[in-house]
Amino acid sequence: MTNRTGLIVENATTGYDSADVLYGVSLNAEPGKITCLLGSNGAGKSTLVRLILGLTPARLGRVSFNGRDITRMQTHKVISEGIACIPEGRMVFSKCTVEENLLLGGYGEKDDALLTKRMKTVYDLFPRLAERKQQLAGTMSGGEQAMVSIGRGLMSEPSLLIIDEPSLGLSPLLVKENFKIIKEINERGISILLIEQNVRQTLAIAHYGYVLTQGKVVAAGTAQELLKDETMHAAYFG
Amino acid sequence: MDIGFIGQHLVNGLMQGMIYSLVAVGFTLFFGVLDVIKFSHGDVLMVGVFAGLTAFFGLDALGIENPYILVIAIILFSTALMALLGIVIAKILILPLKGAPPLNILLITLMLGTLLRESVRLFYPNGSNSKAFPAILPTDSFTWGNFSLRLDSVMLFVAGAAVIVGTYTLINRTRLGLAIRAVAQDEETARTMGINFGFIVLFTFALGSAIAAFAGVMNGFYYNEINFSMGLLLGAVGFSAAIIGGLGNLYGAILGGFLFAGLQTLAAAALPFSSSYKDVFAFAVVIALMAWRPTGLIAEKAYARV
Ligand SMILES: Nc1ncnc2c1ncn2[C@@H]1O[C@H](COP(=O)(O)OP(=O)(O)OP(=O)(O)O)[C@@H](O)[C@H]1O
Ligand SMILES: [Mg+2]
Repeated sequence: MTNRTGLIVENATTGYDSADVLYGVSLNAEPGKITCLLGSNGAGKSTLVRLILGLTPARLGRVSFNGRDITRMQTHKVISEGIACIPEGRMVFSKCTVEENLLLGGYGEKDDALLTKRMKTVYDLFPRLAERKQQLAGTMSGGEQAMVSIGRGLMSEPSLLIIDEPSLGLSPLLVKENFKIIKEINERGISILLIEQNVRQTLAIAHYGYVLTQGKVVAAGTAQELLKDETMHAAYFG
Repeated sequence: MDIGFIGQHLVNGLMQGMIYSLVAVGFTLFFGVLDVIKFSHGDVLMVGVFAGLTAFFGLDALGIENPYILVIAIILFSTALMALLGIVIAKILILPLKGAPPLNILLITLMLGTLLRESVRLFYPNGSNSKAFPAILPTDSFTWGNFSLRLDSVMLFVAGAAVIVGTYTLINRTRLGLAIRAVAQDEETARTMGINFGFIVLFTFALGSAIAAFAGVMNGFYYNEINFSMGLLLGAVGFSAAIIGGLGNLYGAILGGFLFAGLQTLAAAALPFSSSYKDVFAFAVVIALMAWRPTGLIAEKAYARV
């Protein structure tokens, strides 16, 4: 098992003081692929992200990344294994400038030249951010904050990028733009675990997907398979 | 009113303001990263001064007389030891209580403060009496008319200003400072960026405690007298200063410190009956200010908040 690469979650169970949220969830995000996790509000998607990152520890089960056990690792160690996250709700550091937000995204990298280079890549992707380097992130529009959050997630040049509901609160046009960018990021060789509720557009770019309902994986398969899947339809379109 | 009188009060006020600001900076840093109020802060300052005094006795016994070596050694020993104490306090008392009601942390640090204070009183040789703090800084003075400015005051003020500027620069211009600000804004997202949260907390407590020790030593050199309960008032004033400035706000803490000293000085200079009313006056104004601006004088401003 341990020689398999990518992110592997096996039988993960966890929850908060008040209640259990995930029950024996298993999932695999393969290198180079876009893996999506679909599920309605409260299904436990963000909790699974927290579990992977070590923010909410697993009660049972195991998480490994590129063959390394990361189940009990502290969050900053998990990040240094090559995982980055664009959290739900963007969570930009509102009292820091755009540039500082990007620097925080690359916090693990100490080489200034490398950081400058990566920052340039981000500015090429989002020219709007280059114009507003010194603006406080909290004063930017929702769409611009989404750019900051995505750019920040790229600054560590992760091998796996976890994106939690990037479409939330964006106009249909921006949502479309967002999916395009996610695809582009993936084409640069970064594996992606995409958490979404936007089923059709997500499956249009994903290679593989999982459906989470009330803390359990109820369906899994390739994007094509999921589009046809019965359970999936029951959970989503039913 | 003559110039000497005003000048003397001005110097005194500035020196006090510097000391208060340095104490307030600690409160604001701790609150920034961990949302805790550490009531033992003033007593950590006091332990720092006694550590400095002990270092002086040690070096004195070794026959070292060069005042500059002595001063630097006192400062280094005191700040380093309190940085360490800050780390120990954060590690064994504050971090494990993370997630507990803030009132618990408040209570525990209040008790810790009492413990530190009583320990010095009981276990430091002759600890219940005031001690002379060595007057080893040069006391040459510049005189204009009947106002004289002593060199040691100038040196202390410059050193205090350097510590404040250094802290400001660290917080606003360095990678580590950026991480501290990130943790202050949103701990979980900061961790998600790969920031070692535990390290940042320990570092902040080391920094705040070292700055308090420095303020204590400054106080010792200025008044040449220290005692086991000096942390009580300094802690209360530093805390008030941090609150008036807007807790968590670095500029606010500095401003609050000078404001408080300004009020005290005003009272001491203007109230004819007795300067012992100066604290009462200053605290009364602080209470009025709090009623007027419950969140502090400075509206929370971006980069200012650590
Ligand atoms: N910090 C927390 N403390 C207690 N319960 C929580 C916490 N975070 C989430 N929960 C609970 O866990 C369950 C799953 O929440 P989670 O955020 O993982 O859902 P989600 O699938 O991400 O939903 P959404 O699509 O709305 O973001 C919910 O019932 C929620 O109330
Ligand atoms: Mg969620």
